[in-house]
Amino acid sequence: MDDITSQFEECLRRHLRSAKPNPINYDVELVQLGLDSMTAVAVLLDMEKTFNIRFPDDMLVEGTFRTAGRLKKAVQLLRDRQRQPS
Amino acid sequence: MTRPLPDQSLGPEWTILELLARGIVDDLQRQMVRDLLLSDTLNWGELLEQALRHKMVPMLAHHIISERLRFDVPTSIYLHLESALEWNRWQIEVFRRETVRIAQVLAVRGIRFVVTKGMAFESTLYEGLGTRYMNDIDFMIAPRDRDTVMSAMQELGFRPFFSWAKDARREEISSRLNRDHLPKLAREIDQSGIRLINIDVANSLTWTKSPFDVPVEEALENPVEQPIPGMPGVGLPCFRPTYQFLFTVLHLFREAWLQKFVDFGTDVGLMKFGDVIRLIDQNRDELTNGELLRIMNAHNVTHPVAWVLRHLDETFQTRTQELFALEKYGDEKLLASQMQSSAYVHPWGQSMRERLQSKTRGSSRPVAPAHSGS
Repeated sequence: MDDITSQFEECLRRHLRSAKPNPINYDVELVQLGLDSMTAVAVLLDMEKTFNIRFPDDMLVEGTFRTAGRLKKAVQLLRDRQRQPS
Repeated sequence: MTRPLPDQSLGPEWTILELLARGIVDDLQRQMVRDLLLSDTLNWGELLEQALRHKMVPMLAHHIISERLRFDVPTSIYLHLESALEWNRWQIEVFRRETVRIAQVLAVRGIRFVVTKGMAFESTLYEGLGTRYMNDIDFMIAPRDRDTVMSAMQELGFRPFFSWAKDARREEISSRLNRDHLPKLAREIDQSGIRLINIDVANSLTWTKSPFDVPVEEALENPVEQPIPGMPGVGLPCFRPTYQFLFTVLHLFREAWLQKFVDFGTDVGLMKFGDVIRLIDQNRDELTNGELLRIMNAHNVTHPVAWVLRHLDETFQTRTQELFALEKYGDEKLLASQMQSSAYVHPWGQSMRERLQSKTRGSSRPVAPAHSGS
């Protein structure tokens, strides 16, 4: 498993104003860092582009990105899935 | 109902469209449109462009034809207008048949639904003349029926369809996250002139996480059966007037306040305001018997409704705020403070009339007027 932390955080910071100056708390709800319906779409799109992944329909739900921790886990899972030989 | 004639400060082309949108109700207005259409200074390019932007080409065409102005309009423009009207009538006919096909399947499955917007209005507010343009067919269902309706629509041959958007993946993600609508659906058809039928199924009168909403289940109670021109004995369920009004006004509010509609170039238009004026004109008694006010208060939607009506009055010289006793409501700053999100449009620096006429809404985000000393 590769470490996606720095790219992941960079991606979040691009969209969440409140996440910019501080270390990212992986347990805090992203809404508290400024996530709303419009930035949620932008964050997911950016994650897809940055990590060359695609969120399946069943992951396009609020639970996937409630916290930075959950979102990172989802991104990591999709990235690992993609790397597995078919 | 008589209304003051509009001022012509935004040009003859715009005045014609404003008058047509709100509905020609007396000879004075009819004469004004006629004079403007016949004036030497009329810019047909501008008139056609704005009519296109506001989905009013069929309505303009119908007016010119019904007023017998054929030989006063440049021939090539007249021929184009005539064919645009005929094509719109054909599309409405195809849409009507498709709406009935879908409605029958939903009814058989016991799903409570109504047909909304263009399909509901064209035969009532617009008298079935074929003048109301529509992009798609709109339905409203309860949130609990989303999955059943989705599977029924797939059995009818419809599939989620995102390629209408500039960024299809963005739209796909957005529609999965914002569960106020099903993803847009489309079906290819084999009809001359029409390649796709698009369906929009909503399950909210406003939008996901809106601070303003009216429960859909309540709005769907006691729908009215609306006859369909050319299909005797067949009817479509539509909202009864009180909820039809609320949905139409709140929908307009949504399109005025959500940034994505500005970005897509599909935010507020003259026709949408025209729908509201016609709804009030045709249902005045039912809308002013106290029930509407009670529902608005119960669901905290008085401010957004009043905001729309204030702009309606300022733009079209109507007096709807007074009619509904809503003069004290609809404060823009209050609404902006309740809607703190990048998803919402910043307060617009221009009047609604100027916003409607502007051709650059999508390219520059509106800004609030600068305050002295700031």
